[in-house]
Amino acid sequence: MPTKEEIYKKVSDTLADSLNVEPDEITPASTLQEDLGAESIDFLDIVFRLERGFGIKIPRDELFPESVFQGDPQFVQEGKVTPAGIDELRKKLPYADVDGFAADPQFKNLGDLFTVDMITKYIESKLAAGQ
Amino acid sequence: MRLQDQVAVVTGGSRGIGKAICQAFAAEGAKVAIVYRGSQEAAAQLAQELQSMGREAQAWQVDVADTAAVMKCAEEIHQKWGRVDILVNNAGIIKDGLFMQMDPANWKDVINTNLGGTFNFSRAVVEWMFRQRKGRVINISSVAADRVNRGQANYVASKGAINAFTKALAIELASRGVTVNAIAPGFIETDMSETVRNMAGDAIKKMIPMRRYGKPEDIAKVAVFLASDDSAYITGQVVTVDGGLGLGVMAG
Repeated sequence: MPTKEEIYKKVSDTLADSLNVEPDEITPASTLQEDLGAESIDFLDIVFRLERGFGIKIPRDELFPESVFQGDPQFVQEGKVTPAGIDELRKKLPYADVDGFAADPQFKNLGDLFTVDMITKYIESKLAAGQ
Repeated sequence: MRLQDQVAVVTGGSRGIGKAICQAFAAEGAKVAIVYRGSQEAAAQLAQELQSMGREAQAWQVDVADTAAVMKCAEEIHQKWGRVDILVNNAGIIKDGLFMQMDPANWKDVINTNLGGTFNFSRAVVEWMFRQRKGRVINISSVAADRVNRGQANYVASKGAINAFTKALAIELASRGVTVNAIAPGFIETDMSETVRNMAGDAIKKMIPMRRYGKPEDIAKVAVFLASDDSAYITGQVVTVDGGLGLGVMAG
C-alpha cells in the first residue's frame, strides 16, 4: 500500500497530465473546476486515468456523482444548500470538506467540494479496502 | 501508407460505399473489421480479398440496430486487435414511401438502423478512442439531409439527425484527439440507388453539374482522408461529395 504522500503525488501527476496544467500549480486544496479548469468531459478522463494508474475500479457516480441533488427542492432553496442537503453531501461525498462548505453553503460553489485532497482521500480508502 | 496498422470498423462494409471504404483502408495499411447484416458471401469474399493484399481482415455479422449485439461485436473486435482507431458508421437502409402512406414500421426500421446503428457503434467504441486519446469517427450521411426528396421522410430525417449527432459528438471528444465528421454522398453507383437511377434515367444526371454519378471510390477517398492524420484539425464537419448536386443547378 503506497503512503498518502505517494498517492497524492500520483493523483496530482494524473491531474497535471489530464488537465494540461503544470504540476507545481497543483496543491491539495486546488479545486478541479475553478482552479484547474476541468470541464465535464475531463472528470470522465480523470476517472479513466485514476483507474488505470492505481489499478482500481471506480464505479460511475461514486467519485464524481453526476448530479448530487437532482434538482430536489428539499436540498436547495434560494441558491443555498439546506441542512438536509448538507447531510446528503456528507453521504455522497464522504471525502470532501463538507464542513468547510457548510460555513457558506452557496449552491453555485458546490464544485469547490471536488479538490485534489478529496480525490487523494478517496483513492486512499479504495486502496485500503482492496487489501 | 496513411493508415498503417490502424484498426478500422466499417459497418455496412460488404457492399457499395462500405466495401469501397474497406478496400481503400486496407490499401493504406489498416486492419479491417467488415460489419455486415445479410450479405454473408460478399463479406467473406471481401475479407479474403483484403487478406490476399496482406492485411488482417475479418467479417462480423450483426444488425447495427441491435444494441446488445453491437456491444458484443465491438468487444470481439477490440479483443482481437486490442484497439479501435477508426469507426465508419455506414450501414444504412431505405424504405421509401409517401409520408401519408408510410408504414410506422418503415419509419422505425430506417431510424433504428441509420441513426440507431450510428449511436450503437459509436457508444460501443468511442470510450476506447477517448482513452487512447486518438480516434476517428466517420458517419456516412447523405446529401438528401439538406436536399430532400419526396417519399423519403424517414431516410431524410435519419440523415439530418446523423449530421446533428456528428456535431454533438465532435464537441464532446475534441479535447481528446478524437475527431467526428460526416460525409454526405450524392448519387453514387450502388445497389441502394439503383432503382432511383434506373427510374429517373438521365433526368438525375442533368441535375448533377459534373454530369455523372459518383463512384463508391469517390467516397472512399474522402473517408481515407478523414481517417488519416491529414485531417487532424477537422472535426464536426459534414463533407459533401456529390459532384455539385447540392448547389441546385437550374436549367439554362
